[in-house]
Amino acid sequence: MSVRLETIRECLEGIIPGHIATCDADGVPNLAYLSQVQYIDNDHVALSYQFFNRTRQNVLAGSPVCLLLTSHLNGAQYRLKLHFLRSETAGPLFEQMKAKLAGIASHTGMSGVFRLLGSDIYRVLAIEQVAGAVAALPPPPINHLSALRQATQRLAACNNLHCLLETALDALAEGFGIGQVMLLMLDEGRGRLYTLASRGYPQSGVGSEIAVGEGVVGICARERTPIRIGFMSSEYAYGRTVRDSVAAAGDADALESAIPLPGLPDASSQLAVPICAVDRLIGVLYVESVANLHFGYNDEDALVAFAAQLGLAILHHQQFEEQADDEPAGEDCPPSPAGPPLAVRHFAPNDSVFLDDDYLIKGVAGAILWALLSDFVERRRTSFTNKSLRVDARIRLPDFADNLEARLVLLQRRLAERGAGIELAKTGRGRFSLRVERPLLLVEG
Amino acid sequence: MLDSDHLAFILSGVSISLASVAAGADPRPTMSRGLGCKALDGGRRLAVFVRRSQSADLLANVGSSGRVANVFSLPSNNRTLQLKGSDARVLPFAASDLPIVERHVADLLREVLPLGLSEAVVRALFEHPADDLVSVVYTPDAAFSQTPGPQAGVCLPRPA
Repeated sequence: MSVRLETIRECLEGIIPGHIATCDADGVPNLAYLSQVQYIDNDHVALSYQFFNRTRQNVLAGSPVCLLLTSHLNGAQYRLKLHFLRSETAGPLFEQMKAKLAGIASHTGMSGVFRLLGSDIYRVLAIEQVAGAVAALPPPPINHLSALRQATQRLAACNNLHCLLETALDALAEGFGIGQVMLLMLDEGRGRLYTLASRGYPQSGVGSEIAVGEGVVGICARERTPIRIGFMSSEYAYGRTVRDSVAAAGDADALESAIPLPGLPDASSQLAVPICAVDRLIGVLYVESVANLHFGYNDEDALVAFAAQLGLAILHHQQFEEQADDEPAGEDCPPSPAGPPLAVRHFAPNDSVFLDDDYLIKGVAGAILWALLSDFVERRRTSFTNKSLRVDARIRLPDFADNLEARLVLLQRRLAERGAGIELAKTGRGRFSLRVERPLLLVEG
Repeated sequence: MLDSDHLAFILSGVSISLASVAAGADPRPTMSRGLGCKALDGGRRLAVFVRRSQSADLLANVGSSGRVANVFSLPSNNRTLQLKGSDARVLPFAASDLPIVERHVADLLREVLPLGLSEAVVRALFEHPADDLVSVVYTPDAAFSQTPGPQAGVCLPRPA
């Protein structure tokens, strides 16, 4: 029985480098070491094209190609016969390989030397295991299929978005042993992703942002493809990406960094997986570790499957909240709060809101908060529905993919973390209440 | 003839790979791991040791074309050298060469264990039963630096 490529993917990680043999038109053989083999499917792999070397010249001239790959887990060796198909210089596969190569280059002291010029795609014609003893396989750290089953079952038990987010992150932490995880939602209109939930960081970072296209998370979002790096790479380091983008934007966008991204400063392994549903990108699931090569193909597979379930569930819960289960009860008139007033300042151009001069939130969530607080101050209103926000001209929700419920969760969490005496609480399907514990002084501009 | 620097390098704890092609229109390149090597005639020729059970196609190719490509790479610093030859022959393994193979595997273990590989894995990979070993002997007629980078593939001064 021939070997299925999906069962030997650890050989592609390059921990023990692969070898490639080709020959020129005159029959002169050539051997080279590979820095990267990328699994595409059981019949296809991609090799990185970094230099126009003899191997590539031979391949382009039609040479048969033989790879020798070795498993670092048990020492098993495999020979693969390949047939070159084409090269890609942009797109999901290219970005996956470019990111991975940056990590490998950094790890092997080859930063600035290794640069991906193309992803060369090959058809796998045959796989042969080389004779010889193999070591006993170490027990895998987790059973991915079992962990995935349990995690998706837990998602199915959630009845609102808040519960879904908490459960999703708990399931990843407990079921997959992932110490650091972030869930970021796409703000399609602004081309940015905002952190909605996280685990494993000193600060939650809820509300922090990264642009689509920047860093591992941003490239994952732009290409809608998993990005996985096994070694620390300054090129893909979070902190640097954010610093650079802030510097490029100048002071005008200083708010972008007002809430720091929670990422590990010394992450070696990074994996970002797109959360998609009904052909739309909803957000990104990002996990990281200080250990080298912490996430493998099986982790990537499991998280992609988990993200597919999560995406549909997020979409469902957002749509579910669009309808209130009953009309809000008559406007209650809570007693006027006492104590020192809280100054709430709103800047209309970007809907940023500051509490006592400290930045809280901006954008759609900022506009929502300002409308809620204005209604509270003017009419003592405390009960609201998602439906009423959707038609509220002050909030100017974008027509498409506004993720209203996710923005309410974001706002609720930012308020809870600030602890300034303003709280949002869910009171039913599509309904929530506002609680204000201090007199408010609303200031526009 | 290989210079003393290259000779010392290929006799250190390098990873060794040997490739060959069949003569004719269907070259079928293939390769095997080398388990050590030895300089002959003061460095004019090399003997590379491979396992017969792992190398049926490779040995058939050597017998067919005599053409080999032989790469030596030091895992700890990526220094890599490729030698080529066109007069390769398959010869029986001399039992007196077993200490060379054993020393090579020991040197290689010292190289790769600090990189995090399991000793059981490396020992399995470089198992070398004497009755399964065979020598491929050739005269290097070209040498190329293949240390990763834009200079990879640069032809080194022709061996004398």
